[in-house]
Amino acid sequence: MATPRIVMKLCVAEIRAEPGDVRVITLEHPSRPHLPPFGAGAHVDLHLPNGRVRQYSLMGDEKDRSRYLIGVKREPEGRGGSAWLHDQLALGDILPVSSPRSHFALAPGTSHLLLAGGIGITPLLAMGRRLKETGQHFHLHYFARSRASTPLLSDISQALESRHVSLHFDDEPATQCDLVALLAPRQDDQQLYYCGPAGFMRAISAAAAHWPEEAVHFEAFAAPRDEDFTPEPFTLRLASSGALLPVPAGESALEALRSVGIALPSACENGACGTCECGYLDGEALHRDGVLRPSARANRFIPCVSRAKGTLTLDL
Amino acid sequence: MRPRWLGELVHIHIAPEASYEMEALSEARLIAGRGIEGDRYFLGTGTYSAKPDIREVTLIEIETLEALQQGEPKIPGIRIELSPADHRRNLTTRGVPLNHLVGKRFRIGEVVLRGGRLNFPCKYIEELLGLPQLHDALLNRSGLNCSIEKGGVIRPGDPIEPLED
Repeated sequence: MATPRIVMKLCVAEIRAEPGDVRVITLEHPSRPHLPPFGAGAHVDLHLPNGRVRQYSLMGDEKDRSRYLIGVKREPEGRGGSAWLHDQLALGDILPVSSPRSHFALAPGTSHLLLAGGIGITPLLAMGRRLKETGQHFHLHYFARSRASTPLLSDISQALESRHVSLHFDDEPATQCDLVALLAPRQDDQQLYYCGPAGFMRAISAAAAHWPEEAVHFEAFAAPRDEDFTPEPFTLRLASSGALLPVPAGESALEALRSVGIALPSACENGACGTCECGYLDGEALHRDGVLRPSARANRFIPCVSRAKGTLTLDL
Repeated sequence: MRPRWLGELVHIHIAPEASYEMEALSEARLIAGRGIEGDRYFLGTGTYSAKPDIREVTLIEIETLEALQQGEPKIPGIRIELSPADHRRNLTTRGVPLNHLVGKRFRIGEVVLRGGRLNFPCKYIEELLGLPQLHDALLNRSGLNCSIEKGGVIRPGDPIEPLED
C-alpha cells in the first residue's frame, strides 16, 4: 500500500502561460521557507475542489526547496481538473498539495535516454537537469506537434545544453525521428525513461520491447484505454478474513472495498498513480493500469481500474 | 487546596483534514463534547484508530519533544527532531504530567478537559512524516486524548492546573 503523505496548503506564487495551452504554476509554502525534498521525476497530488485529486510532475530544480513548479496542459477531453487549474486558479490562491512521491526516478546507469511527448516533458526536464548537473551521459528527445505549440522550450534551453536535446515536430519532416531505429540498439547499462500521451506510450513500449524491464522507466498520464474492453462482474476474496466481496460490472474493486469499509488510500482513481496498489495471492487479474511493471503484475494489483476473472484473493 | 503542579499551554495546532499539515493558532475555540473548531476531529474527517475512543482534543508534552531531540533516553537513544507543528497533537504543554491525568479533570485557561486514554503512537504518523522510529520513540510518552467538559477560548500562555473531580 502506498504510504500516506502530508498535505500542505501551498500558495500560488506565480502563473506563467506557455505555448500549447500550458500553464506553469509556482507553488510556495506561506510560512515555511523549505518544502519537503524531491528527486527528479517525482510528482505531487493537487487536491482540487469536489474531492478531485490530480497528479502533476515537479519540473523545477530539486536543489531549490523554496518552490514547486508544475506544468498543466488544458485537456478539454479530460475529467475537469486541468480546466479548473486553467480557468479558476488565480495568483495568491491556496491549494492543498501533497508532499512529493515518485515511482519515476533516475536509476544508476552509464547513459540515459529520455523521451518526452508533449506535456510529458515536465518530469524529463527535471531528470535532464539532474543528469547534466551530475555530469552523466544523457540525451533528451522531445516530440511535439509543432514548434509554435510546444511548451517549455525556453525552460529546456535554460536548463540543458543544446547538444543534449533533440526536438522532433510532426509538421517538420526534417526533425522527425524513427522510434524503432532510435531504440533498436541499446548500450550496456543504458536506461530509458519516457512520459507522454497514450499513443506515444504505446509506440515506445513496442519499440523498446527488447529492452530489459529494469532498464525501462515510464510514467503515463492515465491507464491505457481499450475501447473493446467490457467490464464483467467478479469476486474479491479477502485473505485476512476469507470474506467474499462481489464487484458488479459497473463498479471498481476500489469502490467495492470502500463500500465494506476498507478504504485503501487512493488519488487519481484512473490507474496512473499507484496510490491504491495492493497485493493479490491468487486468481486471474485483468490488469488495466498504467503503473505496474510487467513483473509486478504477478502479485500486485491496482484496484481503481483493474479487474479479474472469477475470484481474486487480495492480500488484505 | 494548592495545585500540586502548574503548567502552561505552549502551542495550539489544528489540521482541517486527515494528513493535512497542522496549522498553528494564536487562539482556539473548544466546544464541549466535540473538539476544536476547524480541526479534523471536530469536523469528523480525521484518521482514527479502530478502538472506540474519546479524542476531542489531543495533548503532548513539549518535554517529550525536547527529549527526542536529545536522543533521551540513551537506550534505545532514538534522536528525532519533531517540531510542535509536526507531532499532530492539538495542544503542546509544558510542566503538565499528562500520563497521570487519565480520568482526571484539569483546566486550561477557561476550558475544562478530562483525560481519556493515553495516546498511543501510530505507524501512520511515522509514514506521513517520513520519520522512521518515531513510533518507538513515542512509546509511553505520546500524550493524552481528552474530552472537553467545559468549552471556551484558549491561547498559548494559558495556565494549566489540576481540578478536583
